[in-house]
Amino acid sequence: MSRLEKALHSGVFVVTSEVGPPKGTDLQGCLQEAEVLRDRVIAINVTDLQSSVMRVGSLAVCARLVERGLEPVFQLTCRDRNRLAMQSDLLSAWTLGIKNVLCLTGDHPVLGDHPEAKAVFDLDSVQLLKTVSVLNHGRDLAGHELEGAPDFFAGAVVNPGADPLELQLIKMEKKIAAGAQFFQTQAVFEPEKFARFMEKVRAYRVPVLAGIVILKSAGMARYMNKNVAGIGVPEGLIKELEATPKNQIRQKSAEIAARLIRELKEICQGVHIMPLGWADLVPEILEMAGLLEMAGAAK
Amino acid sequence: MHATIQKPLEEIIGYLGEGEKVFVLGCDNCAAKCRSGGVPETEAMARRLSEKGVKVVGWGVPGPKGVSLCKLSNTRKVFQEEYRDVLAKTDSILVLACGLGVHTVIDATSGEIGVHPGCDAIFGGEMVTDEFIAEYCRDCGECIIDYTGGLCPLALCAKGLLNGPCGGAQNGKCEVDRTQDCGWHLIYERLRAIGRLELLYRYQEPKNYAKYGAPRRLTLNGDQASFHFLGRVMNRQPVKI
Ligand code: SF4
Ligand code: SF4
Repeated sequence: MSRLEKALHSGVFVVTSEVGPPKGTDLQGCLQEAEVLRDRVIAINVTDLQSSVMRVGSLAVCARLVERGLEPVFQLTCRDRNRLAMQSDLLSAWTLGIKNVLCLTGDHPVLGDHPEAKAVFDLDSVQLLKTVSVLNHGRDLAGHELEGAPDFFAGAVVNPGADPLELQLIKMEKKIAAGAQFFQTQAVFEPEKFARFMEKVRAYRVPVLAGIVILKSAGMARYMNKNVAGIGVPEGLIKELEATPKNQIRQKSAEIAARLIRELKEICQGVHIMPLGWADLVPEILEMAGLLEMAGAAK
Repeated sequence: MHATIQKPLEEIIGYLGEGEKVFVLGCDNCAAKCRSGGVPETEAMARRLSEKGVKVVGWGVPGPKGVSLCKLSNTRKVFQEEYRDVLAKTDSILVLACGLGVHTVIDATSGEIGVHPGCDAIFGGEMVTDEFIAEYCRDCGECIIDYTGGLCPLALCAKGLLNGPCGGAQNGKCEVDRTQDCGWHLIYERLRAIGRLELLYRYQEPKNYAKYGAPRRLTLNGDQASFHFLGRVMNRQPVKI
């Protein structure tokens, strides 16, 4: 059983974070970011060609984290691989000691740096979750028996700000039926609105980790409001960032994230912090949020 | 209908060898409707090529009116009768039609004659108006749209997702392009309108992409229709004539 699974079952407030592999073979920066998160978070997501930009794969960086005794969450998208490659990568991941997998649709290649690439999407995220379940039960998608089966702890994502929410909730239910055992959400900035979402999904009895994006500037907040589905950074927060002198902005960003986390503590089972390059701020944020030592954190 | 758009003139000229004599051929059905290979476009292409110094021996759009170039029996007959003399004088045929038209021309001519595509075939579409043709089906070989209210997620969703929308839809618009409708939003509205929202809860299995693979054939013999992919029969059904 992965540490993440254990922690979520134990009922403690769980913190996860993430790193993004680099474009090129120099993993130093990426591994350093992961190192900063040691003992602070339970598990570290490794993104899979985030924003459809070609980079080192999630699998390789996850394996490096395992080597160092850090617990990864292998992000796997449907964008680039057909069902043969997806199942193979999942089996490979298990042999490398990777126990958590997050199943996502993935961005469209058109939005990335190789816009002419063929969009695969042979499976969708629900079918991918089902695939993980099938592999966990010792079979492949074609029904053949496996010589040695994995036992992944599979998660999925949900966007609590989606409109219409009904459509998003139906998909969430399908993901759970297909085998999703935890959820990480799109960035949350409005705890009250998020609490209403949690009311609706509580009955599913699947742990939800609210997404925390570290706001680096008012401009970034405005950009997200305009371009990212389901995100509503309140005007008050944007004003607060605007009023902050440049040399104090990191402090302010940390303060805002910590405040959000404190408010979310009573609402959901944990948070997933997306530092977007500011991983070194995470320990400070957790300290301010009163979560310095994570119970069972990645040692 | 098969939607097509003409290739850039420079690209077409690039296909032609030094001093190559060419006959410009259109199609009076789909290509005519797409204004890529009807009578006016075929004539204009012959003229534009001549102006660029290409040796154009003639042009033509096989009749009868409205006939598809991809109807081999008709194209072959026109080639053997009406176009016989002019085709004897040409090195190649530039086809202003989809790839099916190009292949029909290969089938209708003996091996000596070259064939060049003059259009990009872009999709099979519904002719919504005379000015607007839209892709609503991708010929996947296994129609699953009963559970989506008749709207095809392969054609309407940028990612071809089968079990509901990705997380990127916003105000009913697609994350890939905010000026385009999210296909799953359209499906949701349609199912709501016909009172079948419960269909959205159904788990849709991964598609059988063998039915989407090339080469595919349809054979009609006696009272049976058969759909083949490579050497395999994917579907065989009785037909009542
Ligand atoms: S499911 Fe296949 S056959 Fe049916 S409309 Fe879509 S692409 Fe066409
Ligand atoms: S936003 Fe809608 S149409 Fe666009 S990729 Fe996502 S589900 Fe498909």
